Amino acid sequence: MNYYENAVEIKGVTKKYDGFTLDNISFDIPKGCIMGFIGQNGAGKTTTIRSLLHITDINDGEIKLLGLDHIKDENAIKKRIAVVFDELPFHDVFYAKDMARIFEGMYPEWDNAAYLNYIERFQLPQKKRIGQFSKGMKMKLQIACALSHNAELLVMDEATTGLDPVVRDEILRIFMEYLQNGERSILMSSHITSDLEKIADMVTFIDKGRILLTGYKDEIIEKHGILKCDKDKIQEIDAEDIVSIRTNNFGAEVMVTNRESASCKYRDCVIDPASLDDIMLYYVHRDAKEWS
Amino acid sequence: MKLYRSLIYRELMLTRKRFILMLILFLLLALLMMTPLILVFIFKPVEGEESPLEMIPLFVGIVALTGGFMAGTNNGLQKADISSGWKRYSFVLPPTAKQQALSDLLTKLCYILFFGLLSWAFEFVYTAAAGYSNFGIIYMLNIYLGAVCAVMLVDIAYSYIMMCAKDKNQLKLISVLAFVGAGFVFRVFGLFPGMNKAGKPAEDDVMISEEAVNKFETILCSGKTTLCILAVFVVLCVLFFLAMWRSHERREP
Repeated sequence: MNYYENAVEIKGVTKKYDGFTLDNISFDIPKGCIMGFIGQNGAGKTTTIRSLLHITDINDGEIKLLGLDHIKDENAIKKRIAVVFDELPFHDVFYAKDMARIFEGMYPEWDNAAYLNYIERFQLPQKKRIGQFSKGMKMKLQIACALSHNAELLVMDEATTGLDPVVRDEILRIFMEYLQNGERSILMSSHITSDLEKIADMVTFIDKGRILLTGYKDEIIEKHGILKCDKDKIQEIDAEDIVSIRTNNFGAEVMVTNRESASCKYRDCVIDPASLDDIMLYYVHRDAKEWS
Repeated sequence: MKLYRSLIYRELMLTRKRFILMLILFLLLALLMMTPLILVFIFKPVEGEESPLEMIPLFVGIVALTGGFMAGTNNGLQKADISSGWKRYSFVLPPTAKQQALSDLLTKLCYILFFGLLSWAFEFVYTAAAGYSNFGIIYMLNIYLGAVCAVMLVDIAYSYIMMCAKDKNQLKLISVLAFVGAGFVFRVFGLFPGMNKAGKPAEDDVMISEEAVNKFETILCSGKTTLCILAVFVVLCVLFFLAMWRSHERREP
């Protein structure tokens, strides 16, 4: 087993499609961290995940997983990572126990007892075909498979999308347990920023194929704020402090990039803390500057 | 070994339904081929040219041919894997493209072996019951492997076409072009002397002359033919493996 500091290292990755480019993106996920990967639909989250898993080839850049090159050391990496997609990629005709028979030959560290434990814990029916499972059950089954071979890196692409809050909460708790030994890391792309706010240590925000923000979640949330003021007051705010401005009938809400300095500069304005949802929303409209 | 057991288990489980259906069809056909012989023997034994014994090679040939087609045909796994999302998922699983291709080939060989044994069992029981000993296993094997090779060739061509196409429209276009191309090749072959018999009148109202039938039978019962077909079969297995390997290695655009 090799030593590594970052579970994922993405440097200057570019992937070109007709009408969309993943443009020179870079970010790292330190070992033991949960990285939330957020962005609106079509922002490039799935393309980034597919690139790092070598499902698609990249045009430029370098990707390292667990300290290894994602193409050269592909075989070694695949034994040590687990992936959960938004849709169950297993055939409907199988039973849950069939999946254990399939995976036990593929993964050297497959743990049947752990798998059965998850199946029991998730209350997944063993006598029903996978095709008859509900969406929540399917996701739980995929997660059970992903967590049963002692993977060091778990990559999830919109895994909690479409699940009810109870199931999501249960799954998030399992991820927290999974990370407890400090040797494992998670990359989790999601629209549901509330989930990431609960569990993520770090956040990367992608929009139109570019990384807009990456870093520790608490720092990002702490730094940003929503300044509330009259529309006339907007002119007095430095352009470099503003991400974008949301106007309404009563005034304006300005996303500022440095809450602390803004609170000193604009003493007569109220500055509320921003949530990840707010940050995402204001950054998406950064080009328009003013929106409502 | 454990890896291949897993991979082959998955493929066999997924093609199980198709296999059972083919097995039922095969057994029904075998029963159908046996019926006239049983009926004639029970109710009215016939001697000479009219004897049902003369039909045994034909019946055995039909059963072997059908078995070969069933064993060699595309098992629909590639399409099923794409539509279920397994194809994409397989890119993140530890088995390499080569290992997956080998498991595809081994699964195909399992079916070929199974239907081969079944065809041989039919031939053995049928000829033993009728006390017929004019041809041996070679005859059945040649027909069976010939059919397997023909179907595998189409399967391999189809796999390559699927790989070349970027979308459904391109797949349709390439398929039509391949079809027209195949027709053209046959037409060109027909222009060679000795290949085009269309102008030759039928003698004595017989579509195929006895001489031709005898020649064909001699070829089918020859060990040299078996060797040739086996060589073609091995080449096709290699081509099949390469097609599957390429297909598993190919990344999404």
